[in-house]
Amino acid sequence: MSHQPTITDNLQLSADSKLPQILFGIGIIGLLISAYGYFADANQFFFSYLVSFTFFTGIAIASVFMVMFHHITKSKWGVVIRRIPETFGANLGVWAFFAIPILLGIHNLYHWSHEDAVAADKILKGKSAYLNTPFFIIRQILYFVIWGFVGHKLYKASIDMDITGDWGISSLMRRISAPAIPLFGLSIAFASFDWLMSLDPHWFSTMFGVYFFAISFQSFWAVMILMVFFLQRNGYLKNTIGKVHVYDMGAWLFAFTVFYAYIAFAQFLLIYYANLPEETLWFYHRLEGSWKFIAYGLLLLRFTLPFLVLLNREQKHDRKILTYVSILVLIMHFLEIYWIAMPTLSAHGIHFSWIDFSTLIGLGGIFFGMFFQRFKQNSMIPEKDPKLGACLEKSYHQ
Amino acid sequence: MEQRNLYGILAEFDNPKELIDISKEVVELGYDKFDTYSPFPIHGIDKAMKLKKSKLGWIVLGHGILGFCGALAMMYFMSVIDYPLNIGGKPFFNVPAWVPVTFELTILLSAFGTVFGMFFLNGLPRFNHPLFNIERFKNSTDDKFFICIEASDSKFHTDIVLDLFKNAGASYIEEVYE
Amino acid sequence: MSKYEYIPEAKLVKGNHDFASITHLVTDVNLRRTPTMWYLLMLPANGLLLLLLGSIGYLFWEGTGIWGLTNPVGWGWAIINFVWWVGIGHAGTLISAILFLFRQDWRTAINRFAEAMTIFAVMCALIFPAIHVGRIWVIYWVFPIPNQMVMWPNFNSPLLWDVFAVSTYFTVSLLFWYVGLVPDLATLRDKATDKIRQIGYGLFSLGWNGSSRHWWNYEKAYMILAGLATPLVLSVHTIVSFDFAVSVIPGWHTTIFPPYFVAGAIFSGFAMVLTLMIITREVYGMKDIMTDDHMEKMNIIIMVTGSMVGFAYLMEFFIAWYSGVEYEKAIFILRATGPYAWAYWIMMGCNVISPQFFWSKKLRTNVKFTFFISIVVNIGMWFERFVITVSSLATDYLPSSWDYYSPTIWDVITYVGTFGLFGTMFLLFLRFLPMIAIAEIKAVMPQADPHNYDNNGKYIPPKEKIQSYVKIINSTDNISIEQDNEKITIQDEPKSKTLEPAFFVKPKNA
Repeated sequence: MSHQPTITDNLQLSADSKLPQILFGIGIIGLLISAYGYFADANQFFFSYLVSFTFFTGIAIASVFMVMFHHITKSKWGVVIRRIPETFGANLGVWAFFAIPILLGIHNLYHWSHEDAVAADKILKGKSAYLNTPFFIIRQILYFVIWGFVGHKLYKASIDMDITGDWGISSLMRRISAPAIPLFGLSIAFASFDWLMSLDPHWFSTMFGVYFFAISFQSFWAVMILMVFFLQRNGYLKNTIGKVHVYDMGAWLFAFTVFYAYIAFAQFLLIYYANLPEETLWFYHRLEGSWKFIAYGLLLLRFTLPFLVLLNREQKHDRKILTYVSILVLIMHFLEIYWIAMPTLSAHGIHFSWIDFSTLIGLGGIFFGMFFQRFKQNSMIPEKDPKLGACLEKSYHQ
Repeated sequence: MEQRNLYGILAEFDNPKELIDISKEVVELGYDKFDTYSPFPIHGIDKAMKLKKSKLGWIVLGHGILGFCGALAMMYFMSVIDYPLNIGGKPFFNVPAWVPVTFELTILLSAFGTVFGMFFLNGLPRFNHPLFNIERFKNSTDDKFFICIEASDSKFHTDIVLDLFKNAGASYIEEVYE
Repeated sequence: MSKYEYIPEAKLVKGNHDFASITHLVTDVNLRRTPTMWYLLMLPANGLLLLLLGSIGYLFWEGTGIWGLTNPVGWGWAIINFVWWVGIGHAGTLISAILFLFRQDWRTAINRFAEAMTIFAVMCALIFPAIHVGRIWVIYWVFPIPNQMVMWPNFNSPLLWDVFAVSTYFTVSLLFWYVGLVPDLATLRDKATDKIRQIGYGLFSLGWNGSSRHWWNYEKAYMILAGLATPLVLSVHTIVSFDFAVSVIPGWHTTIFPPYFVAGAIFSGFAMVLTLMIITREVYGMKDIMTDDHMEKMNIIIMVTGSMVGFAYLMEFFIAWYSGVEYEKAIFILRATGPYAWAYWIMMGCNVISPQFFWSKKLRTNVKFTFFISIVVNIGMWFERFVITVSSLATDYLPSSWDYYSPTIWDVITYVGTFGLFGTMFLLFLRFLPMIAIAEIKAVMPQADPHNYDNNGKYIPPKEKIQSYVKIINSTDNISIEQDNEKITIQDEPKSKTLEPAFFVKPKNA
């Protein structure tokens, strides 16, 4: 009895699709408006930019991480969706360009970059071997070299397999992934220290890298779900990505919702319980004034609600529910980064600015424009992957 | 010879596919008091037998809610109402610190609900079963696959059922008495 | 030339097994005569168990003064052993629950075995906090039951959280284990020929008869239990880490402790499973089921979790420096250079360096080397807990109260004695219960898939993919396909590149 899977879908985003151009257009307009914001309020501009930048970069790094994870575990379940994170990851090298404004705004963003401030502060002086402008810039370059290189390599290998059909390439992909995972672990941790933790240079938490990883990964799955639904709405991959694959993504979103809550809560509890002045201050600022609304909002809308909704098996592949939950998670992800970064700028309460949104739209337009630009060049799935057959025909025991 | 009641007719098959095929046939013919027996859960037999969704999830949910609320209520009574103690300057109603115990009790009660709920739904323990009288049925936990249509089924008729099993290629057929 | 070789997935069960031979292979261990070797092993295990009971008895008589606890070091070997055993006890539930949710079918070969190990390890662990309380006769004060003080337990205390976490973990692991055992006990009941076994196994199998209607609820229950056990297993070592991390002791209070402890627990637990598995499969001839591929997979997990532990060490060290807090900085320097530097470097060597050998495929598929590393890892993890517990306490804020801690003979005897308890329980398990989940392993064999039969009910092994692959490369002659599709080696690049694998047909889209 043979049951060979066949693909009847169109796997190629049409070459004359205007989507990338439209997105680039939106992005450029958003960034131009934000540039105006720079002249209006430079501090606000740089903080807003940093929030949006970490928002999208985190998702792209999580993409590469997920691809590497997929390769080293020799997974079958994710073959049909793998090209999407691969494409996000392949853009990381170019994306480095958008880190430049952070370097330009280093004085607006980071207290430790002012030499006179460091000279007057004993603690900052102790950290100056790490927190200083040249080393900060070197580190940014290093991160993007690692991420861009690995992202590109994995993408290229996957495309090569599309062309040659050489299954041996899957060994190559594993060989890239294995050593890259520890590199990513370290670089993500230090990048999160650089971008977000050092905004408050006195504060420290060993968990922060893991925390940034957790929030990025949760929202990565939200992006994946929305992206798949978007493609299917436009008539692509309708039969290729089936209910079981959607269920898997729902399950991952659920798993990372729990993981996020675990990490965020553990970090909070330990600091709250020990109540050491050098640590609690960070949470103290973020739980006073109107900031506490975001804090409680995160508890309710980023963990509790998605958790309860996705607990049920049926709802993990309910398209409507997944769409709403994913949108909610992304909104809360933005607010969480906002809540981490912004109290440094406005300690006493939330103060939304239009620049927050213009940078988000601007960077988002570019981010997804770059994605679709690359995505339309190749097939939407790794067509000749040895595990594609197994992935397509899979059905679960449970 | 004493009169014994017929419980049903048991047929043995050699592989899971045959069991699925015969289950489909039996369902199509309209029997509903029958069951299949296999040494491991067969993938897809639930659809062949048209089994309804298990109610276990609801039992577990109930227990989980009980554990969650029970844990919070217990701690609230003990640490806020009955004997409040100032510990480390934290509030009496110290929610973050209560999360671990609440979590553990929710899991504990849910697990009890799962295991005992499953046994309850399956009607276990039940040490005596007419099928255990059949020597060959012992292979149902080893490498053979059985189906038994019960005599209490409204459509049950010995000859028809025997024929059905014979035609399906059963390797062994026996009448089961209570 | 293709530079890389494609290695298809290995078969889960090696050799030429069908359902009946699997049943026989596993149940025969429980049904045949007890081998003399078993008695010979039981002897030292029982001896150590008696030693444990004796040392506990003496402790109750004399009090905790017989241990090496000193003024700054109020937590000594007892807490180290507790954390060590609980950590080991994480692998079983991890294998049965988390790998189940990830649909890693290879877990079926070792899950029963690892769960048993979990339960016995947690038993060993539970001894230590219980006997550490000093006044064992009022141990029930830790539970929320009315007592003569008219007080309730302190729910803000991490030690109380531990009581709930570890006892819940023990209970749920036991339930999980038992649920998995029920169908296999039924198999043993049906295979047993003597009355005592029939009644014994029959009683505990609860009258299981393999009904599909029962399996339906059973599978649901198993799924839910796995879903419950997954966060539970993470929470247990998290809460154990809270014992340390909620305090203000330098080196203990650090936010990465929860995931770091969990990774360490998985690390040591997998190592222990490997140690036991390598011995057991040799002794009982289970190599067809507990294969070298399983060992390799577990070695990879050991390598990953070992590296995660290394990551946490690095974060701790970096943040200790970055924090600018004197005491934080001091404790990390003292650990590496102070009175306990020897322990610190043992820990580093065993936990961070030794798993890195598994980057080499040759080493991680080498049974003897794996066995060696699995023991090294558990030594390292013991020293990790030693370093955390002792060094932070012995050299904390006030240098005037620093003191060097050393254990007494009773510390050592109690610890060694727990191996007696563990060994005894484990030997009893091997003797009387199926060490492999028979029903689960059958369900993942290709014979279990109804798709693998033709219309006449004949079993056809799933070879489609391999065959279709042969189709693409049949023009090359230097290709070797081993008999049971374990490995295909392709030295040469496929010549007809443009051909697609035959099982995957993509019609040209209009």
